[in-house]
Amino acid sequence: MKLKNKKWSLDKFMQIREEVLKQWDTGAEVDLEDAIEYHKSLPEQKDMSKKLIEAKEEKITLTQPRAGVALIDEHVELLKFLKEEGQADLLPTTIDSYTRQNKYQEAEEGIKQSKTEERSMLNGFPAVNHGIKGCRKVIESLDAPVQVRHGTPDARLLAEITLAGGFTSYEGGGISYNIPYAKDVSIEKTIYDWQYVDRLIGYYEEKGISINREPFGPLTGTLVPPSISHSVAIIEGLLAAEQGVKNITLGYGQCGNLTQDVAAIQTLEELAEEYLSEYDDIVLTTVFHQWMGGFPQDESQAFGVISWGGATAALAQATKVIVKTPHEALGVPTKEANAQGLKTTKQVVNMLKDQHFMPNGVLEKEKEMIKKETKEILNRVFELGKGDLAKGTVRAFEAGVLDIPFAPSKYNAGNLLPARDNNGAVRYLNHGNLPFSEEVINFNKEKLEERGKDEERDPSFQMVIDDIYAIGKGMLVGKPRT
Amino acid sequence: MEKKTLVLGVIGSDVHAIGNRILEEALTKAGFEIINIGVLSPQEDFINAAVETDADVILVSSLYGHGEIDCQGFKEKCIEAGLEDVLLYIGGNLVIGKQNWEETKKKFLDMGFDRVYPPGILPEEPIADLKKDLGIKE
Repeated sequence: MKLKNKKWSLDKFMQIREEVLKQWDTGAEVDLEDAIEYHKSLPEQKDMSKKLIEAKEEKITLTQPRAGVALIDEHVELLKFLKEEGQADLLPTTIDSYTRQNKYQEAEEGIKQSKTEERSMLNGFPAVNHGIKGCRKVIESLDAPVQVRHGTPDARLLAEITLAGGFTSYEGGGISYNIPYAKDVSIEKTIYDWQYVDRLIGYYEEKGISINREPFGPLTGTLVPPSISHSVAIIEGLLAAEQGVKNITLGYGQCGNLTQDVAAIQTLEELAEEYLSEYDDIVLTTVFHQWMGGFPQDESQAFGVISWGGATAALAQATKVIVKTPHEALGVPTKEANAQGLKTTKQVVNMLKDQHFMPNGVLEKEKEMIKKETKEILNRVFELGKGDLAKGTVRAFEAGVLDIPFAPSKYNAGNLLPARDNNGAVRYLNHGNLPFSEEVINFNKEKLEERGKDEERDPSFQMVIDDIYAIGKGMLVGKPRT
Repeated sequence: MEKKTLVLGVIGSDVHAIGNRILEEALTKAGFEIINIGVLSPQEDFINAAVETDADVILVSSLYGHGEIDCQGFKEKCIEAGLEDVLLYIGGNLVIGKQNWEETKKKFLDMGFDRVYPPGILPEEPIADLKKDLGIKE
């Protein structure tokens, strides 16, 4: 495996493909020519790339849930309900956690037990086990674009099967589906495996089928500073574009401070456009994830969190918003709870679609700092790779120049400590080995000292723990417990 | 008194890492010796770690809903490995969906767990229970 950020030749792709399709017996069903014909036969309203381009032009924010259950008929019923009752614009298929770890035998067991127990024993849809036929049944039963959402370090077979099955959008990336989702897989391996996925989508693109690609923005979903998730999103966008991907949606998870969140979505798009300018015909859109951290157990309080996420997504003019549910604190939601989250969000998004967040001096400063931080990180990544982004990314993780807070992976340095400032914006309490300038370091330090003074305590790990629990306990900033 | 040893981990194909890190921090501060095997840990890893370290307690976390499948036969395997006296604690979102908590709790007690916790509790609660169950005086 020689990792380079260079478009794979078709020969290399086809050679590796033979092995990939043998990982589970449904792999043998995949025929690329048939898959292309199948996509051509699908009506326009099932095309994710088109739907996102329209939304971008109209400056509206589309809603999308997360959802998936073990069996095909129940999965279709669930998605139909979210479309009709929940008014979802875009649909998902969330993949179960066994499939994400390529444990297809265990997924098979989960399918079996779901049938005998008459309830889903899996937390998602095991698409590889259901094969192309099962996937196409889902696609044909619904009149909206459907995206694969998962958390799979090696997602090559899953991509082959779901894309041939008619899905038009695929989430993930070599960093965003490794560092937060694995503990023992090298970054070199996942970047390589995701080059395969991107090359597959590049192949569809060459044949006139545009599949949307979405790197997973929120990473660990817990106090991730915007410049961290921006750096990862831009790297994954660039790696995808190199393999021929054209329709890219970059993501960001809500931090909770309105100004910081609006600044984050705006800078994500502005920075990505700058970095991706060397590639032709790229269409960039954005996705805003409602609060990904711990939720309040009380459903009314949870609706408060959901509404605030919806409002922020609309004011930031994200192209789509991924919606949470009032059952978030308790795990996988019922379809009714899922629809409630969607409707709550739709109401807020509709009310705010003609309102804009006005520049106010603070927004500009926030944007300036996010851009500065992100560029300082990315410059160093390029330097480490001597111009090659894939190599640079591997070395940057080794050096802690890229570092994701609270990640399980042993390939992540884990030196970072983020905390909220007095206004609830997420700052660097400890920036680890991030290659920051004095200006950036001092900016973050001053913000946190201000909070420390207010709370009469030094910023420390206890402050971070308090921040992690805060929203679940009804606050944004984790003030000392009394 | 000698420190009590706790094996801590997140079972099955679950990658939720935040609570695991907070628990490690809180339990260490409370005076326990923590063997943290981390996320994505199969039953065998908990058992091997407990045998190797002569542990007093195994603490299992599960946040993603597959806990019910992942824990099948766990107590029996512990007994086979000679760990019949090791306390088994579990907590998190243990089943798929919002189900009656008392029923979920009973299900896991019947499976052989000694303590079962719902999602969202602070570390103070299991720490107090640990001290009680292990006969540690404040």
